[in-house]
Amino acid sequence: MTRQSDVLFGFLDEDAKKEIRRALLKAVALPGYIVPFASREMPVARGWGTGGLQVSLSIITEDDTLKVIDQGCDGSVNAVNIRDFITAVTGVSETENTTAATIIQTRHRVPEHQLQEGQIMVYQVPYPEVLDSVEPDTARQKEMHANNDYAKLWVLLYEDTSQFGDSRMASGYPVAVNGHYVMDPSPIPKFDIAKLNMSPALHLYGAGREKRIYAIPPYTEVTPLTFADRPFQVEAFPGKACERCGSSRVFLDEVHLDDGVHYFCSDTFHCDTTLDSQGDDHAA
Amino acid sequence: MLLELEAVSKIYGIGCGECCALTGETGAGGAICPRCASVVAVNQVDLQVAEGEVLGVVGESGSGKSTLLQLIYQDQPVSSGRIFFNGMLDQKGERQDILTLPSTLKARLRGRDMSMIYQNPHRGLNFNFSAGGNIAEKILDANERNYQTIRSRALHFFTKIEMPPSRIDDYPDAFSGGQQQRIQIAKALSSSPRLLLLDEPTTGLDVSVQARILDLIKALQREMGFAMIVVSHDLGVINHLTDLTLVMKNGCLVEYGLTDQILEDPQHAYTQLLVSSKL
Repeated sequence: MTRQSDVLFGFLDEDAKKEIRRALLKAVALPGYIVPFASREMPVARGWGTGGLQVSLSIITEDDTLKVIDQGCDGSVNAVNIRDFITAVTGVSETENTTAATIIQTRHRVPEHQLQEGQIMVYQVPYPEVLDSVEPDTARQKEMHANNDYAKLWVLLYEDTSQFGDSRMASGYPVAVNGHYVMDPSPIPKFDIAKLNMSPALHLYGAGREKRIYAIPPYTEVTPLTFADRPFQVEAFPGKACERCGSSRVFLDEVHLDDGVHYFCSDTFHCDTTLDSQGDDHAA
Repeated sequence: MLLELEAVSKIYGIGCGECCALTGETGAGGAICPRCASVVAVNQVDLQVAEGEVLGVVGESGSGKSTLLQLIYQDQPVSSGRIFFNGMLDQKGERQDILTLPSTLKARLRGRDMSMIYQNPHRGLNFNFSAGGNIAEKILDANERNYQTIRSRALHFFTKIEMPPSRIDDYPDAFSGGQQQRIQIAKALSSSPRLLLLDEPTTGLDVSVQARILDLIKALQREMGFAMIVVSHDLGVINHLTDLTLVMKNGCLVEYGLTDQILEDPQHAYTQLLVSSKL
């Protein structure tokens, strides 16, 4: 798409971008540490991906190729609107291809394809502070982060384990980054946590409403909080496979229809490519 | 010595440099500095507590008893003075003043080696966590990361305070005041601390519950051998629990000795008043 001539490249003015980039640099230098930023007004309501949007707009260049997904899907309304907006104000090329994209803005999923060096994941984050659930006092939260004092988070884990046998946290499972800061990886499923560990890509997290930015640099250790004698369990779909492409070792969406429950790949690009390659096989 | 305090003071207010000298036990204005109107809550207190010793702190309200405990537990910053604990040495091999420790090590000290039991269970317990969760928090503080170990230790201490194991996953507001106080005790002891600080542990409880909790604390102290500092304005509690007693007035230490001796034969005029005022 060609850029609309009456808007600045990247919509934000240069000072705003500079401020966001400074916050990003600090976030990358301190993996998992939450950095405040100004969070500008965007032509979207706060809480609709404005954090991710601002991060994407301040790092994007003419040479970038953009992919936007919402719960793994390139075609959902939010993903389409955000992609249209960014391409309208930058003129960059867009793609659904995970491997071809240089910037992938996402809401609540990490793509199934292995990420590569040089790729940047931008997450839309609703609640950046992992300690909010156990400590309401922000000054105390900062002390706890500084002292690496996450006993209260572990208590949540203890309580779930003693009452339900395992953690009840289905998404946004707390992870320790580089052996120090514990952070909320945004509401991605537990299934995606392993993809963050030692990932060659750069992961940037933007929370527009909460005005916070944090990051995981490439090749950083990311470990979910788990007891030594309780293995980390991710979502499993025993005996189930995508009804469209047949993939089984991926994150599946459970779709309830009148004729019962159906399962499909959550990552639509993965589903399409799997289907295509099967078509090739048949052709050959 | 397990714990040593050297000239520890706590001043609320701007402070004029002479607050400690101008106030104190004989100061005309009590604990309020006549020059700068700062409140001297704790005034140059020197104190030593040996391993396994049980020390009582008495004094009227406002005499600085609770503040003294909070300074030791680092709930509040100390204005001046030094505190040594458990033979800790610094990198040069000299005695380490725990007030100058980095905050991570201070937190570890509070988590592992010391415990505090507050008068109000709302301060000592997190009401958003279950009874077991509260106990587990202290064990987790001491860096245990094995679920089975944590669970069985929590259960061990929960039954130690004479609670049925079936109630371990209940939340604190489902327990009575006396039971909440017992859960605080279980929480405080679950990290096997060297020093237990008790701030009016039984005030506000009815007499029969008081007696049971005091017996429980005493039995656990004999069994586990930790040192205790008990703050109370109730001389009965002090008499029941402690071997040594110190008396505070206006933030100063005015008398120190064997509990029996202090209660039977008080020397300082203020102590005499305190003992004779006993109902």
